[in-house]
Amino acid sequence: MAEIVIDGVAKHFDSVEVLKHIDITIADGEFMVLLGPSGCGKTTLLRMIAGLETPSSGRILIGGTDVTALPPARRGVGMVFQNYALYPHMTVRENIALGLKVRGLSRAEIERRIEFAANLVQIREYLGRRPRALSGGQRQRVALARVIAREPAVSLMDEPLSNIDAQLRTIMRAELLRIHRAVGMTTIYVTHDQEEAMGLGDRITVMNFGHIEQIGTPDEVYGHPANAFVARFIGSPRMNLVRVEHHPGAAMVETPFLRAPVPDGVAASPKVLIGFRSEDARPGAAGEGETEVRGQVDVVEHLGAQIELHFRTEDGQEVVVRRPRGENQWREGERIVLAIPPRGVHFFDAGTGAALTVPVS
Amino acid sequence: MRERVLTTLHGFFLLLVAVLILFPFYWMIASSLKPEALIFRLPPAWLFRPDLAGYGKAVTENGIVPALVNSVVVTAGSVALGLIVGAPAAYALARYNFRGRAQIQFWYVTNWMLIPVVVLLPFYLLAADIGLINSPLALILIYQTFVVPLVVWLLVDQFAAVPVALEEAALLDGLSRFRVFTRIALPLTLPGIAVAAILAGIFAWNDLLYAFILTPSTGARTAPVVMMGFLGGYIIPWQTVMSCAVMICAPVVVGGIAIHKYIARGLTLGAVK
Repeated sequence: MAEIVIDGVAKHFDSVEVLKHIDITIADGEFMVLLGPSGCGKTTLLRMIAGLETPSSGRILIGGTDVTALPPARRGVGMVFQNYALYPHMTVRENIALGLKVRGLSRAEIERRIEFAANLVQIREYLGRRPRALSGGQRQRVALARVIAREPAVSLMDEPLSNIDAQLRTIMRAELLRIHRAVGMTTIYVTHDQEEAMGLGDRITVMNFGHIEQIGTPDEVYGHPANAFVARFIGSPRMNLVRVEHHPGAAMVETPFLRAPVPDGVAASPKVLIGFRSEDARPGAAGEGETEVRGQVDVVEHLGAQIELHFRTEDGQEVVVRRPRGENQWREGERIVLAIPPRGVHFFDAGTGAALTVPVS
Repeated sequence: MRERVLTTLHGFFLLLVAVLILFPFYWMIASSLKPEALIFRLPPAWLFRPDLAGYGKAVTENGIVPALVNSVVVTAGSVALGLIVGAPAAYALARYNFRGRAQIQFWYVTNWMLIPVVVLLPFYLLAADIGLINSPLALILIYQTFVVPLVVWLLVDQFAAVPVALEEAALLDGLSRFRVFTRIALPLTLPGIAVAAILAGIFAWNDLLYAFILTPSTGARTAPVVMMGFLGGYIIPWQTVMSCAVMICAPVVVGGIAIHKYIARGLTLGAVK
């Protein structure tokens, strides 16, 4: 069993604080994605779990054992690096075998494991080649096979798909899930691509500036973002956030461009961000209990099956919604009214960014 | 038209450089094959009957063959010891961050600029005290004053150019730090190591000063010292001296040609990558 517990881990390089008191518990066999913009500390955290960096404080436990002071080799972790890190002077077979030989496995066992891993990631016909003679996608598979053959309790992946082209990336994503189901290793996967995170993770840890913004299933971070950062970071197009003044205690937010009934618990904040996703909005006047947003169309962008409407509210805030192609001939300068049902409306404190309500789901 | 003029000029200059470099070699080889009387004749005798007497004398009179053997032993020993000491030192300088790292690296490089005469006397006295005079070991040790700095200087960049992720992958694969060095870093820097070995070998092979002082007895001399031996008297046997010179140069030239591709690659490897 390899549950991973990250217990109050912090890291600073000289005076720069890279990670602030991180607590995460990852269940055995779980696929956990660390997601955040570059520089948020996700890779540093991954490297500390691998043992390539030392935490400034806190503990890391793998399968109940405190590994904080253990060298990488004794932690039972395998890692797929962003640039694959295949040994260029060895064949694919030797690349996979090296870590097994070092562990003193028998020849037969090494053969068995190479067979198994090579079959799983479909690189059998390349076993005799050098990494140089492989394409990016094939190298990625070899890097995976190298980890799988070691049979570590934990596999760590540092943006493994960022160097291959978009088309292959979607194939590899499905492949990664298939392999994860087949092998069942606890996996920690670092990425800055929210779509990748949504597609792969059992749960996602959203990070920013060295701290955790939210931990949750893809559905939770998408449907119930804990704060405005997560709301903006997850989803494409991103969630619209409209800044409005609000009289504490009033039952409605009333501005010239936005009308929204205020749910319970929001009363305290005088300035709020009202958020809604494109797919929750529809053109037309608001019905009972719905939120209404008005503006003027700025740019109309054709995306194929959909068109993307950029419009501005009276005070200049931009809102983006996608609508099905052919629904209406939107023209620039035209006035637009959107209605959003209550379950699609999110309230955030404009100062702290914290979510003020949990929308009814 | 312009293009052609430039190409022609380019070719002409290359030819000029080639002649400047190759002519001394031609003169050396030709002189080793000319009887004394022909060597100084002007205009030079372009056509003559090759005469191997110089080689015969070099072998019989002063024993150039055992001297060449001594040179081989000293050179191989110097390079081997220099790599054993210098490669790990260069690796440590490239990969570890420790107090005084920059200073140590600078100290290594400046050591290479050391003027040999400065350390010659103290080292002679030391070697005499512990009975190393006339031993190849004395030369192997003193040559480290330039072999180790050269190896370190060339290899720090080579090791630094090995992607860190490769070594991290190997650490996660369970290799010890030392095995990461031998299994990953060394094989990947082999061209650079070959270049360092050849360059250090050429310096050791060509050394005259240290060898002249530290190996005075006949049996222990290296080839350049034996060649110098012919220059001692009132009459200098130029043909024999040139024959020795050819025998001393030959391995260097052959080695240089054999690895010239690596020299170009090794010296630029760290830079381009």
